[in-house]
Amino acid sequence: MNLLDLEKRHRHERDHGHDHDHDHAAHDPDHDHPHPHPHRHKPGEGFRPPVWRRRLGIGVAATWLLSGVYVVSADQQAVVTRFGRVVEPRVMPGIHLALPWPIDRVTRLKVRQLQRLMVGGDVSDGVLGRTQPLQSQFLSGDQNIIHMRVAVQYSVGVPADYLFRAADVPVAVGAVVESELTRRVAGRAVDAVLTTEKPAIQEEVRAAAQRLINQYRLGVLVASVNIESVAPPPEAADAFRDVASARADSARTVNEAQGYQNSVIPKARGEAQQMLEEGQAHKIRKVNEAQGDAARFVLVADEYARASEVNGRRLYVETMEQILPRIKKLIVDRSGNLDLTILRKGDPAATTQK
Amino acid sequence: MDRYRRYFPAAAAILGVMLLWTTLFPVRETEFVLVTQFGRPLYAITEAGLHVKWFFQSATYFDRRLRIYNPRPSEFLTRDKKNLVIESFVAWRIEDPQRFIETVGDAVAAEMRLHDIVWSGLSAALGTHDLESLISTQLPAVRTGTMLDRLAELTDRAALVQYGIRVVDVRLKRLNLPEQNKQSVFARMRAERERIARQYRAEGEEQALRIRADADRQKEEILSAAYKEAEKIKGEGDAESTRVYSQAYSRNPRFYKLLRTLESYKKIFDDKTTAILSTDSELLKVFMRGESAP
Repeated sequence: MNLLDLEKRHRHERDHGHDHDHDHAAHDPDHDHPHPHPHRHKPGEGFRPPVWRRRLGIGVAATWLLSGVYVVSADQQAVVTRFGRVVEPRVMPGIHLALPWPIDRVTRLKVRQLQRLMVGGDVSDGVLGRTQPLQSQFLSGDQNIIHMRVAVQYSVGVPADYLFRAADVPVAVGAVVESELTRRVAGRAVDAVLTTEKPAIQEEVRAAAQRLINQYRLGVLVASVNIESVAPPPEAADAFRDVASARADSARTVNEAQGYQNSVIPKARGEAQQMLEEGQAHKIRKVNEAQGDAARFVLVADEYARASEVNGRRLYVETMEQILPRIKKLIVDRSGNLDLTILRKGDPAATTQK
Repeated sequence: MDRYRRYFPAAAAILGVMLLWTTLFPVRETEFVLVTQFGRPLYAITEAGLHVKWFFQSATYFDRRLRIYNPRPSEFLTRDKKNLVIESFVAWRIEDPQRFIETVGDAVAAEMRLHDIVWSGLSAALGTHDLESLISTQLPAVRTGTMLDRLAELTDRAALVQYGIRVVDVRLKRLNLPEQNKQSVFARMRAERERIARQYRAEGEEQALRIRADADRQKEEILSAAYKEAEKIKGEGDAESTRVYSQAYSRNPRFYKLLRTLESYKKIFDDKTTAILSTDSELLKVFMRGESAP
């Protein structure tokens, strides 16, 4: 700029006489009051030619006016304030024109960017896996102390509110979430907080915190409230673990009983079937045997009936033939007396007698 | 004098700028401005934008934004004489700058005043509530919301009139038990867990026994029913066989008697039997006398 300055000055000094008249004619009315021209009457030393001055003036004015042009990129929204007062509360992405400084002021915000804060500990606690008892202790409805760490994610919802309504937005959001969390945890039993009710708590806290945030006009949208860790205090942790193992034990005992049931009943059904089959077998055997015996008897009896005397004798003798070889026999004559003492003496006497 | 005349426009311009500078002033959205004249408050400006005052007046700026004040956690006593450590927060902002500057002055002093109001308010409120209405396993029984709404309203009324402060909300940030009670709380929690663990195990046993007994009953039921059925079937078989036998034997009872008697002889007499046979017997008549039996 300095070099350019010098060059221009030289050029103007060379033919200043000419320009001087021209300048007088065209420029004087414009410059009545604001700029006194102390050099005008001493043309020889440091005289500033009007054309250059006009161009510079126009340039400065144009630059000044153009400084009001601003771009809001795709992930942003902007707020325009005029002398501190909000005139454009929400400018969407694109190229826009505002009045130049110091009249208008453009503040751009990354509205989609999620910001994160922790309740019940620092962000680093999650990484390091530590807890800070006083920060993370909450009281459950059944007066149990539990440790919780909750991550809150939020983004800008209403840019003007976000910028101007609260002195410290993260602190306010954190306080609101913490109070709602305290209330929800204080309304539930410890087991519910530790297990089943976690999603419900998250959603209730998010919704309630959003209501309060809207009421405070913090201009924040709570994207999520996420319980990152919830645990019983270390002082009672083993007892809590024992409850879990008791639950497992109980399930195991029940499973074993069911196993017993599953083995006993089919076996009984099998045995029952077996008994039925045996019964059936007995019936069939009995009937068949009876029918066989009966058929045989009928045939033999019919034959016997034709000559009962002969057949009776034959059957008698045949039977005796079968029986008598096996047994000891004493044959006594009708005239002779039987000395029964031989019975006691056993076999030798018997044979002698015979 | 004349030779200074050419400086007049410059002087006028400088004066004009100075005048503008001292009379025009911007008020941002985050601020209230109190216009004072020689230290005496005249009026407050609550609208953001460009404003005008006389050059001899001065503007004092106040932050009108919402602020969160966290009083130190302190111990309170509930109606049923239980100690609770409560950490609260107060959301507040300056509403009436004139009153604020007259009575309080700055934020630190304001928070001290708020601390006093809120502390006494909380003591009084908790003194009329049982612990059960602050923490309970039934969420609807927790009545901190209404209690605090009322407290915020009272605090706001007092703070607004006295200090020009608007109390937007008072909330309980954290509830805890006093440090000296915690050991006994942990002991109670352990005992409670042990009871629950025992209960789980006993319930498991109970269910298991029930299942086993049921299984045994079903087993007996199945087996006895099968026995009943099987015996019935056997009986049918026996009955049928008896019928068949009797039908057959009744065709020739005499022969049956003979046959059956002879049959029984075979079973009755074995090698331990000693038979005394008379020579008169049917069998031996021929043996002795050589004549035919009849």
